[in-house]
Amino acid sequence: MKITLTLNGRSREVDLPPLVRLLDALRGPLGLPGTKEGCGEGECGSCTVLLDGEPVNACLVSIGQCEGRAVTTVEGLSDATHLGPLARCFVDHGGAQCGICTPGMLISAEALLARRPDPSDEEIREAIAGNLCRCTGYQRIVDSIREAARERAGGAA
Amino acid sequence: MSLADLPLHDMRRAASLDALCGLVAERHARGEATVLLAGGTDWVVEQELKPPRPDADPLPLVVDVSRMAELRGITATRGLLRIGAATTYLEIRRHPAVIERAPLLAAMARELGAIQIQARGTLGGNLATASPAADGVAALAAYDAAIVVKSVRGERRIPFSALQTGYKQGSRAPDEVIVAVELALPPEGSPWLWRKVGTRRAQAISKVALAGIAVRSEDRVVRFGLGMASVAPVTATLLQTRALVLSRPLSDITADALDAAVLSDIAPIDDVRSTREYRKHAAKAVVRGFLRDLGAPV
Repeated sequence: MKITLTLNGRSREVDLPPLVRLLDALRGPLGLPGTKEGCGEGECGSCTVLLDGEPVNACLVSIGQCEGRAVTTVEGLSDATHLGPLARCFVDHGGAQCGICTPGMLISAEALLARRPDPSDEEIREAIAGNLCRCTGYQRIVDSIREAARERAGGAA
Repeated sequence: MSLADLPLHDMRRAASLDALCGLVAERHARGEATVLLAGGTDWVVEQELKPPRPDADPLPLVVDVSRMAELRGITATRGLLRIGAATTYLEIRRHPAVIERAPLLAAMARELGAIQIQARGTLGGNLATASPAADGVAALAAYDAAIVVKSVRGERRIPFSALQTGYKQGSRAPDEVIVAVELALPPEGSPWLWRKVGTRRAQAISKVALAGIAVRSEDRVVRFGLGMASVAPVTATLLQTRALVLSRPLSDITADALDAAVLSDIAPIDDVRSTREYRKHAAKAVVRGFLRDLGAPV
């Protein structure tokens, strides 16, 4: 099945069986391996991407369901040579350690900040409740997202 | 794990609800299975966990209904809330009419999975999977919702009380498509409760969950609805408990009578998430909590 979608702002076409997982389509034929597979059953959030702006688990979405829709992956948050400001906050504040959960965390954080530019810690924790991290204990991720919100509001260079 | 089978399935979309009903009916008459796929939060996981399929087994046809307009959207008119079967839980929890008129649904949707699951999961999917652990179905039970289904024979409404006949079994015919749910709304500001007992607030299947609505008139409850998840082979509607509460003034309800009614209404089991004994304890505690909020001395 030919599927046309907007991927990280660019129109892309793929020809794949419709029930191929969006996760596999991204990491394979679409050439974007930033999205990670963790559990493969919608529990861990490693494969979180935005589908029309909302976070979803790419392991549970079929590529055929993406016809005409907009998908944003972690690659869409930075350019090829520079980390985006949100990712930079994760580096500076210890929000990224082993890195497996990080692409999904960044996407969930991006979805939150797009809706709530000045989120409370409780809102941050709710936004990342579907993203499991086994390294950081979460506090440094919460700190990283809070800092990214502050920077976006013009609070830092 | 039969992930390898997923790409072998054919997937289509239907041009309209009538076309969908026609397709499902034709295939059913030929003995062919059709899967209506919305968010995939149950079905895709089930495929991944299934043992490899024998080569001879025919695959079902998958029809993507996630964006079918006739199955989507929320409308509130004259005390009736209608939610399309393919409306996502994220859309439900953010909808002004739900927040204002059915806050129980908004609270439930907020604790159903994490946001990634809420953005895909639907009430129609919860009803089709028919798990007695489904939070969304427990909330529908509290409202005594009607389930609107459609087939080539026409549309009908299944009252919640006639929906479930056994573990993952129900009264919907195999060729009937779940279109929407309809809830008779209590007056604005009526008491309600959503209480989920689980290992986490989000992204955990409930050990026990209670949805409740009540309409009070002085010392009496004049409308009372309960739905409890994970305590019986079907979503428990707690009919003895409802009858007790509706039968006497709140001040005459005792903890002992309430506990006895709850225990007669449920049949919990030991499983990976919890034990029979803990579930009995939790079921009594959450019902008492709701009745205490309503003013009963329990």
